[in-house]
Amino acid sequence: MTDRRRIFLLLAPALMVIGGLFLTGLGLTLLRSFRYMPALGLTDPDLAAYVAVLTRPDFLASLGFSLWIAAASTLIAAMLALASALLLRQSFPGRAVISFLVQLNLTIPHIVGAIGVLYLVSQSGVFARLARAAGMIAAPSDFPILTNDPDGIGIILLYVWKELPFITLILLSSLQTLGEDHEAVARSLGASRWQAVAHVLLPMISPALLSASALVFAFSFGAYEVPLILGANAPKALAVLAWQAQTEPDLVARPEAMAMAVITALIGLGLLLATLRSLRHRGLHAR
Amino acid sequence: MTTLGLAGLCKTYQGADHRALAGLDLTVESGTLTALLGPSGCGKTTAMKLVAGLLRPDAGDVLLDGRSVLALPPERRGVAMVFQNPLLFPHLTVAGNLGFGLRMRGLSPREIAARVEPMLERVRLDGLGPRRPVDLSGGQQQRAALARALILQPKVLLLDEPLSNLDPGLRDEMRCLIRGLQRETGITTLIVTHDQAEAVAIADRIALMLDGRLAQSGAPEDLYRRPATAEVAQFFGGVNFLPGRVAGGQFHATFGRLALAEAGLDREATVTIRPEAIRLGEGPNTLTGRVQEIAFLGTQSRVTLDLMATTLEALVAPDVAESLTVGQEIAVNLPAKALWVLPQP
Repeated sequence: MTDRRRIFLLLAPALMVIGGLFLTGLGLTLLRSFRYMPALGLTDPDLAAYVAVLTRPDFLASLGFSLWIAAASTLIAAMLALASALLLRQSFPGRAVISFLVQLNLTIPHIVGAIGVLYLVSQSGVFARLARAAGMIAAPSDFPILTNDPDGIGIILLYVWKELPFITLILLSSLQTLGEDHEAVARSLGASRWQAVAHVLLPMISPALLSASALVFAFSFGAYEVPLILGANAPKALAVLAWQAQTEPDLVARPEAMAMAVITALIGLGLLLATLRSLRHRGLHAR
Repeated sequence: MTTLGLAGLCKTYQGADHRALAGLDLTVESGTLTALLGPSGCGKTTAMKLVAGLLRPDAGDVLLDGRSVLALPPERRGVAMVFQNPLLFPHLTVAGNLGFGLRMRGLSPREIAARVEPMLERVRLDGLGPRRPVDLSGGQQQRAALARALILQPKVLLLDEPLSNLDPGLRDEMRCLIRGLQRETGITTLIVTHDQAEAVAIADRIALMLDGRLAQSGAPEDLYRRPATAEVAQFFGGVNFLPGRVAGGQFHATFGRLALAEAGLDREATVTIRPEAIRLGEGPNTLTGRVQEIAFLGTQSRVTLDLMATTLEALVAPDVAESLTVGQEIAVNLPAKALWVLPQP
């Protein structure tokens, strides 16, 4: 058996899952988004669903909201992860314990985290009660609205908490691969500690930071369960809006749900391509 | 021109069971190229990093022109270091790498360009400034790393085994380049190597480190011909150690008496002679020995000799060795000038 055939056979199970489930699902979604649903008598594909979606004010608000929560949570998580990774790469007493705590929430499902956020920072949550007990507020309803709010603060909080360790781990791995020699060279060439970090370390770990951030952005942009639990009634996150359209009793609304899903996927894909292009342009590759 | 001094430097790494440096004293004279020589793990790179300020010593001091620089961070010591690997910054072009230190000093892009171009020429990288490091060969990368340090005109240049990752041909080329640039600039340079031939070939002076301490420093010939200890002699390939007694300007051993060029005080002593200094044949300091073994080594042959239960090794031309047979008795000439009485510890 040739090497090529053996590799293909070994990859076959994975290819079947990807091809059979993902590509078939994607194909059906695309067809329905173009309003090709023979069961409903729709046999002439068109762009009507896309036109309808892109002119719906609630869709545009949802798009903006999803972009906001994804961008804010990614940016905050990336900055905190960078600081954490720079600290955790050094050896100090208690480092192992702190590393464990940072990584602990990787194992906790998003939905559990979302319920935890509700218990902690909603107006009926633990912090509101503690603030009232401490005399800081007169009633729990005086506590700032941090969940189910139109700014998505609760959602952002949850994503930052959940994605921070993910980016931190990737950065720590990248930093460990790099070692300390490049920084040492920079110092011996006259760079201060911060100059060495800014001019050498950051550019060298930026592929890892960019890749991890792109993944986090794409995930938080298209995720459903957290905005459903912690989001406001309006605007809704894109995934929530799409799912609502999908579960409408009127089947004619399905193409719009599919169009929303396709637009969400296209934005994610566009981001991925932009990230890859940026890395290639800089002559760097993710470590 | 700066004199570098290391005074009683001690360093133990966290968790290590022995000291990397156990009181290293060394003076690198202004404008010289000194090789810090020693086997792997003897503390050479640690010493370099302490000079560069990348590590802090447990005890001792680093002095530039007699002034301690321990309190200064690496960027303010005026010491540039080139590592074993070129460690060029992959996100910068070759020119960007060369100009890095100047940029950190706040020079304008025009000033940087004015210094980078001539330096690229000096290390024969002209025209390669816009390329990325990954597009350079190993030798070109190491030349760029050297240029990146030299362009800063540091007070002291530290080279940590810069030739060890290069092919033999490139190594010779790089060695000549380092020697030439050092003579041209007069920068006080300390080069780390574990290769004694490389140290002899490149350095004005050699400082041999063994077990975290300075074993001997001096001109290459001093360490080669006049080792301070048996360990120093062994490091330089010395294998002949003859026990006996120095008396009246002669060396008295079980196998006979030998005249000495430099005898010193009468005492029990060990005399050493380099294998290549031994002549097979008659001469003024001749003994009789029996050929024990002959080994062909390529450009030379090693002849093992028995001098009344004392073993000597001689390196001779292969054609000389070919005329010998194992068990043959021959005259062994040990020139007085080549006999060195090891100093008392």
